Amino acid sequence: MLFNSLIFITIFLPIALLGWFGLQKLLNPLPAKLFLVGMSLWFYGYYNPWYLIILVGSTIVNYGVSKLFTVTKTKGGRKAVLITGILLNVGVLFYFKYFNFFIDNCNFILHTDISIEKIALPLGISFFTFQQLSFVIDRYRQDAPDYGFWDYACFVTYFPQLIAGPIVLHNEFVPQLQARKNRKPDWESFFDGTGLFILGLGKKVLLADVLAIVVNAEYNNIAYLDLPAAWITIIFYMLELYFDFSGYCDMARGIGKMFGFALPENFDSPLMATSVKDFWRRWHKTLSRFLTTYIYIPLGGNRKGTAVKCRNLMIVFLVSGFWHGANWTYVVWGLLHGIAMVWEAVFPKLRFKKDWMNRIVAGVYITFTFSIFRSESLSQAWLLITKLFAGGFHSFTVGLSNTLQLPETYAIRKMLALKLPQLQNPFYMTCLFLLLGISLYLVRGLKAEEWLEKNGCKKRGIVILALLFVWAFISLSQVSTFLYFDF
Amino acid sequence: MKKKALKRLTICILVCLLVVGGIVCFFDPFYVYHGPLGGAEPVLYNRDYQMPGTVRNFEYDTVILGSSVAENYDSDYVNAQYDARTIKIIRASGSVADLLYYMDIAHEENEIERVFWSLDIFAMTSSTKTTFDKTEELEYPHTASPLDDVTYLYNKDILMEEIPLSLAYGMMDINTGGDAYNWAAEKDFSVAGAMRAYSKPAEIVEEANYSKEVELLHQNLEAVVDEIESHPETEYIIIFPPYSLMWWDSGYVNGIGELYFTVLEETLPALCELENAKVYYFQDDRDIVCDLNNYMDMMHYSPEINQFMLECIVADERRVTSDNVDEVLNGMRETYRYITEEGIYQYYPQ
Repeated sequence: MLFNSLIFITIFLPIALLGWFGLQKLLNPLPAKLFLVGMSLWFYGYYNPWYLIILVGSTIVNYGVSKLFTVTKTKGGRKAVLITGILLNVGVLFYFKYFNFFIDNCNFILHTDISIEKIALPLGISFFTFQQLSFVIDRYRQDAPDYGFWDYACFVTYFPQLIAGPIVLHNEFVPQLQARKNRKPDWESFFDGTGLFILGLGKKVLLADVLAIVVNAEYNNIAYLDLPAAWITIIFYMLELYFDFSGYCDMARGIGKMFGFALPENFDSPLMATSVKDFWRRWHKTLSRFLTTYIYIPLGGNRKGTAVKCRNLMIVFLVSGFWHGANWTYVVWGLLHGIAMVWEAVFPKLRFKKDWMNRIVAGVYITFTFSIFRSESLSQAWLLITKLFAGGFHSFTVGLSNTLQLPETYAIRKMLALKLPQLQNPFYMTCLFLLLGISLYLVRGLKAEEWLEKNGCKKRGIVILALLFVWAFISLSQVSTFLYFDF
Repeated sequence: MKKKALKRLTICILVCLLVVGGIVCFFDPFYVYHGPLGGAEPVLYNRDYQMPGTVRNFEYDTVILGSSVAENYDSDYVNAQYDARTIKIIRASGSVADLLYYMDIAHEENEIERVFWSLDIFAMTSSTKTTFDKTEELEYPHTASPLDDVTYLYNKDILMEEIPLSLAYGMMDINTGGDAYNWAAEKDFSVAGAMRAYSKPAEIVEEANYSKEVELLHQNLEAVVDEIESHPETEYIIIFPPYSLMWWDSGYVNGIGELYFTVLEETLPALCELENAKVYYFQDDRDIVCDLNNYMDMMHYSPEINQFMLECIVADERRVTSDNVDEVLNGMRETYRYITEEGIYQYYPQ
């Protein structure tokens, strides 16, 4: 199920909240937890109930592994349990996410002709696998207590974060689930959650989906792009990805707050980063945290000299690339980020004095790397790169702007077509740059939570939130999915 | 403070939703809730979305039924000639099952005095199941339940495109009155325009085995006859529309020409037997079918042809009865032979 769908907003969420708080009135919290798990499974299995087998199976197996830590006392035994747990999780992820990719590459390299049926990628498998891996490792390190099964099941399946993160850690969630104070609705938190959900919905439906119209159309026509159109396309993609993913995370965190749970922040104005390192402090923070805690630091982090640090950075970003998907485009994207991180580690002083200049350099580099991330193949990425640097100028931007056929501008478009056809192209161009301007303004402006804190309770803020919600709500007739569902 | 803000926000959202829902409900461009307000002229421009509401909520006693070739009939002319209130019930495929689905609703909602049924040959061999789930049809206009109406009431396309469009069309008198669903504007009815739709293949395919199609024909014919017989109070005026010579030639070269004749030879006599049915046949009119200036493609003709057929019907010309049905069928065979051996080569090289 999608957050930005009528069924979620009008049926699922009200039932989930009413049921959760209704059942909390009982002395025993178990029925409420069972209900929450049940609702989360409905949410997850809405489009394909078969995926539930993987989610439920993975939850039970990992819980079983965690129980083995309780009964295994020897160091060697615990290590064996840890390795088993990691292999099981990585094995499932490999099978569903990378097996087709692996076979395709084997066929290419070894000139073989192995054919297998395409394995469908279950939604959010990377997210819930990483989340459970962190739990298994923490259990090994004795940093995680022996939770009850339903607490653990709530933690893994909790629907706001299940499909596209943020990657929540057990010690952030389970204590909140167990806290007595969270058994009653907290109206302050509920308001914050509602506001955050609306702002996230607006980001997704009114910005990301509109930017996507241009991006999708142009990625289907890369061969025709000229230089300016190619740059506009990749800038729009960067903005689309940001509003899409951060919108999702705002909605997830908003729903969390409605339930009384605080989920970790995933974005901190990432497009204002002054370096690639700074970008990764601000973008998908919970993934960076996972990779740092469970890969970078165990490899030695930055404690063993620059060379080892550089090696560790490259490994982390290669893993990050693979985590995002089974395609060489992701690997190359990860490599480019790794290279930039190494460069910044080796030459930390090779920077402009003015932050705005560093912002532009970092922004251009990051946007460029994400253009490869969006490409379907390396050859498509290469074609786009040739357009970015040698695409020439043949007014394709006008054609690009004409893809913005929005219902909001319908009446004006029709009027121009009838009465002033010569103004149609200037009008489309105005819409295109207006959209770009609004997006860049919002990227630079306050974060959703800061805006809410400042304006949420004011009359103006309430009216803006209400109008934003209704505008987004009436835009749901054509529902789109979130980009990060695939990762 | 935030509790108060939450209350205000909830009220504000509910008011906005009420206003948006109210606007859509009031203008109701797909006529899901009501017919035209205050006696205004209905604006009908979106066949698939507006049809269910129109059939359910309009007041009428006459129906023009058929595929896209029936869309350009002037319903005002029919109203004037028969002192009627006419609506068009159109399905692109002309599928018998789809049309009868709408006719069931029409009989439920209104007393139907007459039906002008433009009966397509290909529709008689189409699936006997409705096709609404196969096309990307909206669900809410088809259901009486208000539960799924949220996608209509709260829909940006309806609010920002369909309502302004229907108001503008109303003001500009487009797709109103007899021109409901009329698609002829800006279409190219000419030899060149029509010929773009057909590249005559060099080779002729052998006649195929079409036992499956014949089975469908029997089922569809039974449904048509049943519809007519079960509504003796309604007069059915069955029209066989004139497709161009390209359409007939295409049937010939693709090995399905004989199937067309099987349809005609079974359907025409059966319909002529029915007391409350009058059958009018135009497919053998060489002045129409052999002149590609009347067409925009293989089968879609200009509104003048629709008008000509209506005038013939009013004057009771081109009628087929049990007495002349064999003569008409033989005449069609001759026309078919003329088209495939001679007529088509006026336009295509031999």
